[in-house]
Amino acid sequence: MTQLLWDGLFVGSFYALIALGYSMVYGIIKLLNFAHGDLYMLGAFVAFAMLSSLGGIPASLSIVSLLVVLMLSMVISGAAGVVIERFAYRPLRNSPRLALLISAVGVSFILEYGVSAIAGPNPRAFPVRLEGEMFMVLGARITMPQIVLMLIAAVLMVLLDTYIRKTSTGRAMRSISLDRTGSLLMGINVNAVITRTFFIGSALAAAAGVMAGAHYGNINFLMGFIIGLKAFTAAVIGGIGNIRGAMLGGLLLGFIEAFGAEWFGGEWRDVFAFAILILFLTLRPTGILGERVTERV
Amino acid sequence: MKMRRQNATLLAIGAAILLGTTACSGGLLGGGSGATDDPNATVKIGMVVPISGSSAPTGAYMVNGAQMAVDELNAAGGVLGGRQLELIVEDEGCDPQQSVAGANKLVSDGVVVSVGGYCSGATLPTLPIFETANIPMIIPAANSQELVNQGLKNVFMINGTGTQQSAAALKFILKQGFATVALVDDNTSYSSDITTETEAQITADGTSSVVLNTSVTPGESDYSAVVRAIMDANPALVYWTGYYQEGGLIINQLKTAGYTGAIMVADGSVDASIAQIAGPGSEGVYATMTQTPDTIVGAETWIADYTAAFDSAPGPYSTQSYDAVRVAAKAIDDAGSTDGDAIITALEAIDGFSMFSGPLKFTAEHTLSSGGFAILVLKDGKFVLSDDLS
Repeated sequence: MTQLLWDGLFVGSFYALIALGYSMVYGIIKLLNFAHGDLYMLGAFVAFAMLSSLGGIPASLSIVSLLVVLMLSMVISGAAGVVIERFAYRPLRNSPRLALLISAVGVSFILEYGVSAIAGPNPRAFPVRLEGEMFMVLGARITMPQIVLMLIAAVLMVLLDTYIRKTSTGRAMRSISLDRTGSLLMGINVNAVITRTFFIGSALAAAAGVMAGAHYGNINFLMGFIIGLKAFTAAVIGGIGNIRGAMLGGLLLGFIEAFGAEWFGGEWRDVFAFAILILFLTLRPTGILGERVTERV
Repeated sequence: MKMRRQNATLLAIGAAILLGTTACSGGLLGGGSGATDDPNATVKIGMVVPISGSSAPTGAYMVNGAQMAVDELNAAGGVLGGRQLELIVEDEGCDPQQSVAGANKLVSDGVVVSVGGYCSGATLPTLPIFETANIPMIIPAANSQELVNQGLKNVFMINGTGTQQSAAALKFILKQGFATVALVDDNTSYSSDITTETEAQITADGTSSVVLNTSVTPGESDYSAVVRAIMDANPALVYWTGYYQEGGLIINQLKTAGYTGAIMVADGSVDASIAQIAGPGSEGVYATMTQTPDTIVGAETWIADYTAAFDSAPGPYSTQSYDAVRVAAKAIDDAGSTDGDAIITALEAIDGFSMFSGPLKFTAEHTLSSGGFAILVLKDGKFVLSDDLS
């Protein structure tokens, strides 16, 4: 039982990190960014490229080198997110939502097959792998790397939450998600804030990608696709557009999957997770922490 | 009004003429199989193998092996008294939709024999396509029992079938005395075929018992659910029958969780990358596999020729693809024509043609008489022969 909870918590923290970017972007420009999962993949491959070019890294420096590469990869992927927003989404901001959605799907394919063309279609082994001794806590098998990765994820999420609540940019993000024209009229530089949102969201996805690469040891150009869908599910469960909802949804989805796999068997894991998504969309579309928005005439 | 109708009619007539005459062999009015009787035309051999996706490395070995055979045969004079062989390759990507598109392209290109087929799940839907076009298939790698069960007269398998692989697994289990076995597959045709067969054979034999038979979803990174299930069941041997990417991840996560039993993989996971993905825990992992080039006795010259021609060492299924082309060429020569039925009769009549896996004679079901499976083991990241089960 504790093993189930721990496995669910670990996978859930990855989902939460990626769902955050999804939720932020949806909240601010009402776009479901299908390319978001591929930014996770891009982050992993950027880190892979950097670590491979360094040659051999002694095991004692592996955590340090990983942290450095993590931050560099976050910056580079954040920049990629900004470029994508500028050229694929901003021109379509006042177009029907369908056009924006299709553009996102296009960006997703460009990222996937672009990486495949450059780095090859075969799965690659990550040069730095976090190996750790396994120890038992309350009946669950836990390794040190798992704890370290979850701590990093938690720190990033806390930082983001503080940023949204306490800084002026965070306040601007919240106001733009409520009323974009009104914010513009109040003197907020909407374009700059949206760019910053994309930067942060993409950086978080890249962080998750680098950590997944280091932990599981294996990356391939399609790894972002299914993760993107799961993160979308997590964001919907928690309440799309809501930052705390995304974190909650991610962790919940991790638990749901772990329990689903335990009760129905490993092959039913995805079926169970997406069935829960459909249930939420029909019964409570605003998610757990979402508020019902009433149109006032 | 009259002008517009005239324009529309002219357009329709023009389009019909274009469609009918473009590429006569592939157009709407052209014939399906372009088996021309032109004595100078090349004899086309097609193969649908994975060029992209996670099985792409094996696809490359297969293409090279086949190309080597084509080059050797052409240098020795070709087939049917001097006609050169031409190899056409299409991508299956281990995906049923892609393989169907590839097979259709080969049919309209006018291939005479198909010598491809790696992922059984992707090869299965191409069988009726080649059958309708009366093109014999010599399948060098895909070996799910479902391919045999289709009962199509144009399908020939030269890789040991899933049933033969399960028998080899059982033989090894009994030899090593593994009392409890866990079977894990990835829910695809080839993979679940082997676990179903292996479970049936183990239960029928009665000495060992199957304590777990479960599936995972391929393409993911986190396999904690199956690791939990295996640790709870505590078997003496885990038999993974899927492909190497998932296999490597499962082995790594099992070893991290503290699993101390033995692990065996089926031939879909035999690739050097599995050791990279699994990490140091891959040492000592067994595999049921038909012989690879480096485990076949007497294949050193062949390996040297391959390395010289393609600048890289041969890998799994390069010898089978090489043999598939040679068998196809022999059948075409024996039949004396490129007619599908004649080639099929010639293939059925082959007795004792020498291949890397032994002398060839097809059974009534068009499978190998002897599977040729051996047990390999991972040592220092490479597969070496552990037990030839003779």
